[in-house]
Amino acid sequence: MTYRHSIRAAALAALFSFGALGAAPAVAQDAVVSAAKAAGTVGEQSDGYLGINGSVSSEVRAAVDALNIKRRAAYTELAAKRGVTVQDMAAVTGCQTLASRVSQGQIYRIGSGPWETKGAGPIALPDYCGTATR
Amino acid sequence: MWRLTRMSLGVALAGAASGCIQVRAPEKPIEINLNVKIQQEVVVRLQQDAKDLIQNNPELFPQ
Repeated sequence: MTYRHSIRAAALAALFSFGALGAAPAVAQDAVVSAAKAAGTVGEQSDGYLGINGSVSSEVRAAVDALNIKRRAAYTELAAKRGVTVQDMAAVTGCQTLASRVSQGQIYRIGSGPWETKGAGPIALPDYCGTATR
Repeated sequence: MWRLTRMSLGVALAGAASGCIQVRAPEKPIEINLNVKIQQEVVVRLQQDAKDLIQNNPELFPQ
């Protein structure tokens, strides 16, 4: 009985500690990527994912990878719901991120083109974005 | 007089019949191309999905 209880307690403790560990990096990834965006080493891409410009710390790389994995999961879910490819869903979202989630001075990339720095005006979006409103 | 009227009416009808517009089915089947519109609707719907995704998951799209 005690044994069984202790197992349950251990399982619960493990669950809680996992939850705590799982929640903490989510905020950190966010902050790490924000800082890297401001530093001009990470930027939004037209394919709907974050990209890295140049060399970055392993922490930044891990944060970018983690967010991209989460994005892909979200794109996959929506794509299945709408009957389109994951790439298309990601690209349409890329139109939106380029239109609304890139601040002046931050970097962005369209297709496999060079990294560019956003100026005062809006980014010239690819034609397929159509009238992507911000 | 009545007969004359009827006769002229008949002539008029005959004239109308011979001059009637003939409707002929086109040789090619009529195609209504909705692809463009549907594609646009899909894009608009996906754009809304994308907007909602970004708004509802700001932690995935840090600024």
